[in-house]
Amino acid sequence: MNELKKLLIKLLILGMVLISLNYAYIFSFYEKDLSKNSDIVNKVINEENENADIIYVGESSNVTFRGDDLDKRPISAFLKDYFPTKKIGNITKEAAHAEIFYHLLNIIPENYPVKTVIITMNLRSFDAGWIYSDLETPLQKSLVLIRPYPPLFNRMMLSFKDYEIKSETERQAQIFEQWKTDSFSMPYPFQFKDVIDWDSMTNKKGILNPDGTRNQELTELACNYIKTYAFQIDTLKNPRIRDFDKIVALAKDRNWNLVFNILAENTDKAMDLVGKDLVFMIRKNRDLLVSRYSKNGVIVVDNLEVIPNEEFVDQNWTTEHYAEKGRRQIASNVALALKKFYPKEYIKKEFSEERPTKFFNDCEGQIPWGQMQTLSKEKSYSGAKSSKVGKENIFSLTYEYGIRNIADTMKFVEIECKYFQIAPNSTARFVLETEGKNIEHTRAEYQLSEENFPTGKWVSAKHTFPLDSTFFKGDLVKLFLVNEDQSFVYLDDIQITFRK
Amino acid sequence: MLFNSVELLLFFPIVTVLFYLIPHKFRWIHLLSASCIFYMFFIPEYILILFVTIIIDYFAGILIERSNGPNKKLYLIISIVSTCAVLFIFKYYDFFNENIRYICSLLQVSYPENTPKYILPIGLSFHTFQSLSYVIEVFKGKQRAEKHFGIYSLYVMFYPQLVTGPIERPQSLLVQLRQVKKFTYSNIARGLRLIVFGLFIKMVIADNLAVLVDRVYEQPESYSSFSILTGLIFYSIQIYCDFYGYSTIAVGCALTLGFTLMDNFRQPYFAKNIAEFWQKWHISLSTWFRDYVYIPLGGSRVKTVRWIFNIMMVFVLSGLWHGANWTFIIWGLVHGLLYISGAGFSALFTYKKPDHPVINTAVNVVAGLKTFLFVTLVWVFFRATDLTQVENIFHALLNNGSIQGIDLGISKSILIFISIFLLIEYLLHQNRFDIWCELKPVAVRWGIYSFLIFSIIAFSSVESYPFIYFQF
Repeated sequence: MNELKKLLIKLLILGMVLISLNYAYIFSFYEKDLSKNSDIVNKVINEENENADIIYVGESSNVTFRGDDLDKRPISAFLKDYFPTKKIGNITKEAAHAEIFYHLLNIIPENYPVKTVIITMNLRSFDAGWIYSDLETPLQKSLVLIRPYPPLFNRMMLSFKDYEIKSETERQAQIFEQWKTDSFSMPYPFQFKDVIDWDSMTNKKGILNPDGTRNQELTELACNYIKTYAFQIDTLKNPRIRDFDKIVALAKDRNWNLVFNILAENTDKAMDLVGKDLVFMIRKNRDLLVSRYSKNGVIVVDNLEVIPNEEFVDQNWTTEHYAEKGRRQIASNVALALKKFYPKEYIKKEFSEERPTKFFNDCEGQIPWGQMQTLSKEKSYSGAKSSKVGKENIFSLTYEYGIRNIADTMKFVEIECKYFQIAPNSTARFVLETEGKNIEHTRAEYQLSEENFPTGKWVSAKHTFPLDSTFFKGDLVKLFLVNEDQSFVYLDDIQITFRK
Repeated sequence: MLFNSVELLLFFPIVTVLFYLIPHKFRWIHLLSASCIFYMFFIPEYILILFVTIIIDYFAGILIERSNGPNKKLYLIISIVSTCAVLFIFKYYDFFNENIRYICSLLQVSYPENTPKYILPIGLSFHTFQSLSYVIEVFKGKQRAEKHFGIYSLYVMFYPQLVTGPIERPQSLLVQLRQVKKFTYSNIARGLRLIVFGLFIKMVIADNLAVLVDRVYEQPESYSSFSILTGLIFYSIQIYCDFYGYSTIAVGCALTLGFTLMDNFRQPYFAKNIAEFWQKWHISLSTWFRDYVYIPLGGSRVKTVRWIFNIMMVFVLSGLWHGANWTFIIWGLVHGLLYISGAGFSALFTYKKPDHPVINTAVNVVAGLKTFLFVTLVWVFFRATDLTQVENIFHALLNNGSIQGIDLGISKSILIFISIFLLIEYLLHQNRFDIWCELKPVAVRWGIYSFLIFSIIAFSSVESYPFIYFQF
């Protein structure tokens, strides 16, 4: 008995030690750990969302654009055009789905003024391929530190890997099992019993070229459409239904207006490659979601079939990545739905097709150019960030533009920016690159060392590149700075101007 | 179930508390059930394979004990062949097929392309060897055959050492399984100390080093020779901390239940030569090979050529035991050669120990560093996935002296933890953490506990690295 008593006393002391260590952790490593292992939290808690009336929650569909888009802004930014007096924030996490959205919404601080949340509803996320995707492990891992428990306990759960870890083989087995066990139930006679059956028959039959030969690429794409969209949502079993239900409950609890934004899928291609049965399934799933959540008081925006095939960025795979017109269309439909909550603030917006000749990036991360990973808070000329170039990131924030959008009357392109170098005699240079199917990859460079810039000081750097007829045969133009030195250089407020 | 998983944080206290609450005569049922649950966390159906091995050797043990003359030997051979056949099918069949296929292709003889591939049941090599040691000991008459099927099953399946050892002998573990274990504060405290220390070296040191080691092995061509050498040294520390960590947790878990398992390591990197290294590294396996392979082959009491053969046989088998890959076989071969050349060197050149203690220490340090360097370089064969990777590593190590290469990204914290670990290794010299700790004043002890617990929680790698020896 004495031995047991001794042990209990020691366990009590251990408990007290752990409580003290929790505070030690909060004051020492917690913040650093959060930004390192749960950077997802920064997507929720930031200046933009802190003052937002409306928050748009989405995945890569929000921010992905096509190289030749005139306006590369995300859907959430297009939405701002309809409500200029409202502040619209966004939470965008690639590959995220309703479960992740739920956890992210949960950490929106109570004091944030948000009144309306728009949640992306991606039909594919209800499919086994996404539910058991290997992207799940990092996503689940990123949520551990933001659980509603003491920070040290959460960190312990992260250390002891308290999230689902499955190998690629195990995940493939889960997906396969689901495809095999979920039998189709169609209101008319249907020849395939499950995904495996449908997929293997389609693969066996193959998609044929006009000359009767097998088109392997299209066959694989057709099979992928089947594996992605051939499912019938079971409201009792599908984990996404449970997650969206939790979001509805959370919105009620937090008194938010809730909008579900059903994303567009490439039904044109589904019809062409696979046929009406697959499109029937897609539509049935959409109808179920619209009906279920409309009844629950959610505004459901049905964008499923609003975007034509040519506006889908990825033509060789199933994604919800839209070119500019597609993103505008989604934003326009969501804006119309939001009008119910903000009738006075809504303005009708017509978009001009005029080709801009000036482009500006303040390097604050709001305007999506290439090499966004170079944005750093270390130095800035204006705002908080600049593009830090050198060592592992030798290319600066990169302007990319479809050449077909540039009038062929343009004779020059000028790059102008604020420039800061740490060491003298930098070999950094501006580069103009063009590439395309019909031309050789071309590259023109301008050495900044010719300017003899001082060190440790922001200066204006500028150069004009001439554009010749070969340029207009290309598809894509890129303008950026290269720095292969060991010391860093920084760029801010980059302006690109095309001139006649 | 992994020792560094959240499941074990629940499993371990429940099993331990229930063990002491249950009367002695039912404890084997409790421990056997717990061990089954522990094992079934991996691939549940593979427990059937384990049962096949258990059944074979259980009956073999009884038959061997009851028989005399040629029958006794026959039962032993049947038992060894059957147990090894299971190991062969799951561990070596694919390797065997690959090599036969290669030879057939050279001889232009057809060989089936799609031979079946099996996932290796976790810890198969460990419990196979533990089973084998039982039947051999019964054959030698040094151990009575265990008639209680449950107790015998528990001998093979005892959860703390089920998947990566230590490989226990029946004279030690079987006897303990029948003893009445009383709750003592000392066992619980010492066991917990070992568990915490084991978790620290596995999760904080081994797993954080694994990130850096993986970088070097993934693209050696991008790193300078210095970075590659650093990566190789880190792997030496990683594999030691990984396996030593697991063994320490295993010993700790068993100790909380009142069982004593053998120590698997004794500061191996302080060894002055390869022979000494093998007396300090994975002791339960080294002694297994010594007792069941080396000595039956004649040991050292044979002619030199035969002795060389015996040594090489032991090391090649040891390499093959680790994995069905040429890299492991070469790893064993090289260790064998180093062992023999070390012994040869000692026989040819008699060495007089210096009188001066400083010179003596310096000589020992140099000898220790030399052994560590050899072992580190030979680990390349162990860590590499194939011989091409071995070639890439050594090529980059020898030729990237002048390139700057990518920064390996060694953090200050990892250097601090390595230093702390080296200090602990030095302080623990010829001692074990639980006992060493017990001799410290209460405040120092609790300071050490707090440091270890805080480090495990706050500095463990967030990446998942299973124990390296799980693959064996």
